[in-house]
Amino acid sequence: MTLTSADIRNLRLQRLLGDIAVPFTHVFLSLASRYFGYRFRDLEAFRRKVWKALDGHDGPVIWAANHLTLWDSFVIFWAVFPLLRTLEGRRLPWNTPEHTNYYRNGGWFKCRVIRVFMYLCRCIPFLRGGEDEFSVQWRQIAFEKCVWVLSEGGTVFVFPEATRARNGWFEADKPKDFLGSLCVRVPRAKVLCLYLRGEGQAGTTSYPAWGETFRMDAELWDPATGPASTARSIAAGLFTRVGALQEAWFSASTLLKNCSGNDIVDLKGHLLREHFSDDLLDIDPEWAGRLLTSKELEYLGARPAAELFSTFWRFHAAKEAASKALAQAGVKVLPGGFSTIEVDLFQNRARHLPTLLECRLRFTDDDADKIHCVAVLRGGRIGDDSEPGDVLWKVAEVPPGESGSGFCRDLALDLIAESSDDISPASLSFTEIDDIPRVMRAGKPQDWGVSISHAGRYVACSFMVS
Amino acid sequence: MAFKRKETTVEAVDLSTITPEDAQTRIIAGVKKYATNEANWSKADRNTPYLGHITGMGIESANLADITMSIERQFLTKKTKKVPVALKGSPSGGGSETEFTLEDGDLGKLRILEGQDSVMATPGLTIQKLMELGHLPTNASYLDGTASFATIVSVGAGHRLTDALRKTALRMEKSQPAEKTEARANLESLIKQARDFETLLGDPAALAASKQGDFQTDKNSLEALTHELSIVNEKLKGVTSSDDPSRSTSLRAEESQIRTRIRMMRQKLTVSEETARGAGVRKSVDTAKFQEVRALLAETIKLAVEALAQVPAGC
Repeated sequence: MTLTSADIRNLRLQRLLGDIAVPFTHVFLSLASRYFGYRFRDLEAFRRKVWKALDGHDGPVIWAANHLTLWDSFVIFWAVFPLLRTLEGRRLPWNTPEHTNYYRNGGWFKCRVIRVFMYLCRCIPFLRGGEDEFSVQWRQIAFEKCVWVLSEGGTVFVFPEATRARNGWFEADKPKDFLGSLCVRVPRAKVLCLYLRGEGQAGTTSYPAWGETFRMDAELWDPATGPASTARSIAAGLFTRVGALQEAWFSASTLLKNCSGNDIVDLKGHLLREHFSDDLLDIDPEWAGRLLTSKELEYLGARPAAELFSTFWRFHAAKEAASKALAQAGVKVLPGGFSTIEVDLFQNRARHLPTLLECRLRFTDDDADKIHCVAVLRGGRIGDDSEPGDVLWKVAEVPPGESGSGFCRDLALDLIAESSDDISPASLSFTEIDDIPRVMRAGKPQDWGVSISHAGRYVACSFMVS
Repeated sequence: MAFKRKETTVEAVDLSTITPEDAQTRIIAGVKKYATNEANWSKADRNTPYLGHITGMGIESANLADITMSIERQFLTKKTKKVPVALKGSPSGGGSETEFTLEDGDLGKLRILEGQDSVMATPGLTIQKLMELGHLPTNASYLDGTASFATIVSVGAGHRLTDALRKTALRMEKSQPAEKTEARANLESLIKQARDFETLLGDPAALAASKQGDFQTDKNSLEALTHELSIVNEKLKGVTSSDDPSRSTSLRAEESQIRTRIRMMRQKLTVSEETARGAGVRKSVDTAKFQEVRALLAETIKLAVEALAQVPAGC
């Protein structure tokens, strides 16, 4: 598909008007940023680094950044651009917002005001949903517009994930091809990989919190496209680089990077059967209704009756494990507030409804006696039967006469020590910081996403090696 | 369907006809089967936490719904008439099945609504909440002897830290000579953490300030959600007659989902607000609880320092 001459004329006009408007837009964003109390750590050093790299490249640039809030484009633009640089029209990024998020808001007047603003901010709206002919064609035209901008030596700003990360984590191992396709079409383009995040940004929100402090880093990457390059190979390289920026960001953050939890259920525990009929084929609906969401109840009802008991407790283990992973990210689930977490046992995901943060789940030791579930919110991969992830775990029976909680802690420390030749169990100990269990080594609390669980005859522990 | 819990027949009593102390006795007896720490349960009073093994009854968080249901089964109340809560900003202005309060009506089974049990961490706090909700008359002298939710949370953390300190000291003593340096560093770090926490517990204003973080996070989350709701409402305004009808339906579903999320977040905010507010206010019972745990922490720190002195630095 190629752009018509009218399309190109319109893009040129938009570019001209955007050039004229950008100093005003910049002042507006500066005022808005001040109004919301936003602060940018080491802003000058960041700008110097970015502009040194950009000034050394006389060609098109694709900005690729992580995506957590609807205001990311504005915040990143403001972080990168000092006012005087806005006079360099070629460097001003064209944005690629989702059409339904910005172009259909409010009544007649407000809708038009927003549209004009987005137009002057050089936006090329995308329609990411829908596989009908209209939506597909829209995407193709929008893609061609981006190619045109780049082939003119301009700059395009794309969020490579194409959506806000529901777990608040840029998943470097899940590349999407769009940006790679752009690089294939415009081989001269370099990619400005960016990672910007508020210090208190646990997950996805509509906008950053008032008074938020941002930290950011960037790297100009040359995909060096050759005959063997594919959209996927370039995208994979790009995702790896943004992922590395994310790692660096977390290493300087007070937020924990590795957030995971686990839970063990002893299926023979007598209290577990209390709300089931003697044959375990029926469940007390009032009790179940307090612990499960309506979707979960629907799923439970659709399972064969013989699986009712174990399915209910799988839900429960998943919720408990997810609540521990969420707590490590600073999102505390109220004790017993399990109806605020919705588990999808088919997709193996648990979603915290108030924040929409999503954990990946894995059931490891799952038999007639017990269920063990591990949940990972961020920091690494959960893995599966064919590919090991970044979580290690162990399940064991409590020896007679031993305290479950003490044995569980020792089991966790032994497991961590076993995973590395450099660590001895005695060099580790448990503490608790902000109600989260942490393992200390050489006097320092470690970011290992440690979790322990005890139920009846069993204990289990897990931690992350990422 | 025969559910095992129905084997236990409980005769429910009208909450307005019994004393708080009687209600407390019934509540403690009702949770016996979920308690895994028999010693703590058997001497439980109004300020014994349901959860936790060190000072609590050892009830698992999995059984919190059971506690609530056990309390509901034991009591009758006149607050049985459902009154919908008008939703701010709702197009209909009406309530939903999950958003109502209970007002005076016929005597019937006690119903604890979703989120109301969030701060019922002890039998005393359970009764305090029931009083606040109007299920039984307020009894000032009973409440004077009930430690606040904020106290229970902070004191619980103090006990857990004491336990961790004790275990770390033990680990250091047991470690091999080659491991002593790292084990010593862990103990030193934990001693410092314990000292800081002990000081914090002694300063109500500083403790309240430290709890502001969670409250602010929840407040920000609620604001963000309210903003998300306004975005969806704006999108709904932007729906035109030429649009696909499914767009409007999908936006309405999104609106309803956000309202549910807001309700959940409000419940959480109530708890963090209560924790932050209560951390700075102490009755004599709260002060006694804090003194008790501070003394325990101080004693354990002293023992840990003595253990540390046995292992020379750089060993």
